[in-house]
Amino acid sequence: MSVQAIARGLPVVQASDVTSAQLTLKADVVIVGSGAGGAVTAYELARQGLDVLVLEAGPYVPSTAFTEDFADSLETLYEDHGSQSNKDGDLLILQGRCVGGSTVVNGCVAFRTPDFILEEWRRDFGLAEMTPATLNPYFERVEKHLSISTNGPHEIARHSQLMMAGAQKLGWSMKPFQRNVRECALTGHCLSGCKTDRKQSMLVTYLPWAAAHGARIHSDTRVSRVLSDNGRVTGVEGEVIDRTGHKVADVRVEAPRVILAAGAVQTPVILQRSELGNAQVGRHFACHPSMYVGARYPEPVYPWRGALLGTYVDEFMHPKDGGFVLEVGGLGVAEMCLITEPGTGKPYIDYMQHARFNAGIVTLIHDHNVGEIRWNGEYKTIDYRLSDQDFPSMMAALTAAVRLHLAAGAEEVFLPATERLAVRRESEIEAMVGQLRNRPQALRMVSYHPQGSCRMGADPANSAVDPHGRLHGVEGLYVADASLLPTSLIVNPQVTVYALANYVADRLLASA
Amino acid sequence: MHNNNARPDEPGWMSGLAPLSRRGFLRTAVISAAALSSGCATLLGRGGANSDRRYQHLTEDESIVLKRLTQVLLPAEQFGLPSSLSEVPTVQNIDGMVGQMAGQTRELLGLGLWVFEHRSMASFRFSRFSRLDDDEALRYVNAMQAGTFFERGLMTTLKTLVCVNYWRDARTWPGLDYHGPVTEIWGVRRLGNAPLPQV
Repeated sequence: MSVQAIARGLPVVQASDVTSAQLTLKADVVIVGSGAGGAVTAYELARQGLDVLVLEAGPYVPSTAFTEDFADSLETLYEDHGSQSNKDGDLLILQGRCVGGSTVVNGCVAFRTPDFILEEWRRDFGLAEMTPATLNPYFERVEKHLSISTNGPHEIARHSQLMMAGAQKLGWSMKPFQRNVRECALTGHCLSGCKTDRKQSMLVTYLPWAAAHGARIHSDTRVSRVLSDNGRVTGVEGEVIDRTGHKVADVRVEAPRVILAAGAVQTPVILQRSELGNAQVGRHFACHPSMYVGARYPEPVYPWRGALLGTYVDEFMHPKDGGFVLEVGGLGVAEMCLITEPGTGKPYIDYMQHARFNAGIVTLIHDHNVGEIRWNGEYKTIDYRLSDQDFPSMMAALTAAVRLHLAAGAEEVFLPATERLAVRRESEIEAMVGQLRNRPQALRMVSYHPQGSCRMGADPANSAVDPHGRLHGVEGLYVADASLLPTSLIVNPQVTVYALANYVADRLLASA
Repeated sequence: MHNNNARPDEPGWMSGLAPLSRRGFLRTAVISAAALSSGCATLLGRGGANSDRRYQHLTEDESIVLKRLTQVLLPAEQFGLPSSLSEVPTVQNIDGMVGQMAGQTRELLGLGLWVFEHRSMASFRFSRFSRLDDDEALRYVNAMQAGTFFERGLMTTLKTLVCVNYWRDARTWPGLDYHGPVTEIWGVRRLGNAPLPQV
């Protein structure tokens, strides 16, 4: 097979390229989704000579078309135009929906799966191969491919510098992030896509590499069902929909192997629509419900300047220490309108006029897998409510974030609630945080990491997918995205997904 | 990411409208609010005539509610910022967004605005929100913000809708010292695709 040089852009068949009302295609492997899982499996299989077809529901937006405007980007690059939420409407669940998926719009943070998480997976789910010894070669491979390295001093923006000083006062461990970036231009616009291709997303790495090895990529193509016959997959079917929402064509693909990598919300939906898989499909959804804890400082911080994510507190990462992580994150003006409730009228204007004095901390917790994804015949439902079991962890993370802000010199810390709650001194924390209750529409929460809805495990009684990524009970059907994660990770999942996708691709090749 | 979602798309800050589609809410809040406002528009009709031609997608009633809400939420000119009505076309920006909404979302927003406009009648001498004086309007907004889960969700959504459509406008950025998009201004070079791995 010849390998093409693809230095810029990506060969993608878009809705505008489709001229027939019925598109019939064949492939050795059809991959649904082009994000972290889909792109890695596409490359790893294509380079071994398989005929690979990638179908992406979202549009192809080349980096030259990124606007560095978060409000615009939500509408263009994110699932449901940035509106995907849980059933109660109080948890925004952000996922990329474009060629490259969430890797295009993430904050580049790269963690290996913590060892204590792998231990849980081996102990509770019979995943004997999920050891550091098995996975480290995969981690090393993707880290090398994606130029993952530790933030240098120039990538520690003012907001991170302040927090480092605060952590030092408190005696807490704080570290610079590892990120998949080459020569970061410090624009602070990661969540709107990297306009100069410095973020090593799938858009500029594994997808063009897969295409160089002959993989075909179709955007605007929504798979509705996986086709099967006598317990064995035979392909997929769906529709090509253009950017105005109009159907351009029906599509049908014949393929003896299908890999679902559509993300932890859409993968179980496709399986449910296909009536494939056991009762575990869609269950055990987790999502790292996060809060953005903002605070006002006496000096300008300019939270939109510099690298978006610089440092994190790992002091409480292990569940025995609290089971949460604090990540120092920047943000722009539109995001500032979304994260807190500073009051109405004068106090709101005052809050925004002091935007440049703000800095923020994102909390991540090791949430339990209490959610469920359901297709009801007309639309999906994300049934996830912060559990009473996890609420104390959320409050512990919030309390720690407030303490860190105050230690760093913040004058006022805004609690991420739907009513105005602010803390000015350490002695107020307990009373203020104590006012929060675990009830709908009380906290302002965002999830950047949906996961766990097609859990991997040895026992079909508590898992949807076997230890090699195959759907229990169906031949030739694999899952290779964050749906697989048996428990939540605590940390940002992209590297775990890359590694697992590579692992699944190897198992598929071994069985071929 | 793949999408099989037939549910209409909404911008992110619209998520607080989700509970509006629940039957439980429709049975209680909307119907009781409807009962309060004798002679009001039908639940989804909301006096649909669009006589204010400045807005292509908002009805006149909706634009009145949004203008008043913008005045209450964003008295920007009092603080040396561009006016949220005469300089930055906040309601027009919302109108543009509404034009992009799918049908069900559009209906939910209309329903939410109607409920917001009439919910005040229970506590403010049967007066609609848009007819409250400044102090009363502010008290109403604050009461909604601290109300039931539905009221909090609705208020948070409408507030975010208005505020984002003001602050997303580049005319507001100099007042915040926000740089906005920078790559082209700075002349940052594109790197292109990463080189193909050798293994």
